[in-house]
Amino acid sequence: MLLSSMRNVVFGYGEAPVVQGISLDVYRGEFLGISGPNGTAKTTVLKLLLGLLKPWSGTIELNAEAFGGAKPTIGYVPQHAASFNAGFPSRVIELVRSGCHGRLGLFGRLGPEQERLVRSSLEQVGMWELRRRRIGELSGGQKQRVCIARALVQCPDVLILDEPTTGMDARSRTELYRLMRHQTRHHGITVVMVTHGLEEAERYLDRIVTLERTEAEAVGETAAEADRNDLDDRWETE
Amino acid sequence: MLAYEFMQRAMLAGAMLGLIAPVLGVYLMLRRQVLMADTLSHVSLAGVAAGSLLGANPSIGGFAAAVIAALLIERLRSLYRTYAEVPVAIMMTGGLATAVVLMSFGKTLSQSFSSYLFGSIVAVSDTQLWLIGGAAGIGLIFFAVFRRPLYALTFDEETAGISGVPVRALSIAFSVLTGMTVTAAMPVVGVLLVSALLVLPAALALRIAGGFLSAILLSVLIGLAGIFGGLTLSYAANTPPGGTIALLLLAFLLLGMAARKLWLIGRRRANGGYSTRNKPQASRTAARTIATVAERTGKSQATNGKEGIEPG
Repeated sequence: MLLSSMRNVVFGYGEAPVVQGISLDVYRGEFLGISGPNGTAKTTVLKLLLGLLKPWSGTIELNAEAFGGAKPTIGYVPQHAASFNAGFPSRVIELVRSGCHGRLGLFGRLGPEQERLVRSSLEQVGMWELRRRRIGELSGGQKQRVCIARALVQCPDVLILDEPTTGMDARSRTELYRLMRHQTRHHGITVVMVTHGLEEAERYLDRIVTLERTEAEAVGETAAEADRNDLDDRWETE
Repeated sequence: MLAYEFMQRAMLAGAMLGLIAPVLGVYLMLRRQVLMADTLSHVSLAGVAAGSLLGANPSIGGFAAAVIAALLIERLRSLYRTYAEVPVAIMMTGGLATAVVLMSFGKTLSQSFSSYLFGSIVAVSDTQLWLIGGAAGIGLIFFAVFRRPLYALTFDEETAGISGVPVRALSIAFSVLTGMTVTAAMPVVGVLLVSALLVLPAALALRIAGGFLSAILLSVLIGLAGIFGGLTLSYAANTPPGGTIALLLLAFLLLGMAARKLWLIGRRRANGGYSTRNKPQASRTAARTIATVAERTGKSQATNGKEGIEPG
């Protein structure tokens, strides 16, 4: 089922557009990878999808039917997730708990169900043992995993990850791809991930969208090339 | 000392400010808006001048000016997303310039301004006491009720917004609260040193606290100690209260940082080179590194000078 549809979107930060005429569909329950060289506005495309940026022209529509008419819960791991203020006075578990607040509302309090989710999310990213650690003491890859746990704790309908494997070792990267694959297959979560490590991630993805600069490179024009890969059969047997 | 009514008022005002100002300071520091307190105090000076010229209560004028400025800063923040300090600098310049021009219209204003600039124990009037009480009460309820969403907002506004935290509404409320607290603190510590009350306790608490809640509680303890100690010293030595409180808080900060450094050195020595907190992680890392080197070079672990460490 179509979840979100972007049609002929044009967007820029200054006078010239960095995204020009891009069209992109996201389907419910898929693990979508967005790749492309530096400067092809991958993060911008994600932010347009998230509604953080308003397009100059074109349309971005969310199919409310895909969520039974309700507003979807979106978990987001930004590109700079691991470079947050090292001096922030917080422990790992405090940060992951903070992911529950959007769902609980302004006056909500964490109950046993949320605490179970916090534990489950931290265990899924292999950070439960380090839950009492100050976040500033973690490595880049560990911080990244904590931010992913914070997104998972929301039980999101859609998970948007902007280069989530930055700073992770090879084993952690593979575990992340497997985890995301598991989330899409067993929990019906839609995962959209920007990645440079396409060679590694390719086999776990349902679909890859490659952003490329067109001949109008001087103004950063971007085009989308969607390539649907049918990996489901291969993955179900693994 | 407490037999005097003005000292009772000063202590009461100090107690209320000591509860709210450091908490606000922790959030301001983490949101990289540390100069906001300074800016709002300068702008509220313009409000004080305007209030006096119009024959209204100067404190109410300062209060209104600070709240309006806080809202304008919030608006400007959306225009200068990546330069959080620019809106603050713009408002500081505008506020101070307005205050200077307005002062020139009223010849008697200059004298009463000195109590606002440097703070005065005797300057705490009934109205100001009510304003301080109101700001502290509202502030404490605000932080108690919205502590968790504020934490998410402070850590990362963008992610908090996407996850459903009402970022804009909370940011505006936070800015208004900052304006109220800064104006309320002016009679005690003065315009020029109002940020000391917010920033210095928070700066020390953030250096030594382990978690977010402990940083908040610690900053309040440090703030209260600085205010009560500073007011007492100020009374005994007949020095300006604002400067005395600021100097005492500065001394706390320097002593606290030195004590933390010494504590860390002591722990490292006691644990053979590692602090307790990092020891297990460091050991695992070392063991893994040795195992890799041995495998690649074909040498034993002993040749790497780390005999006895088990590979992780």
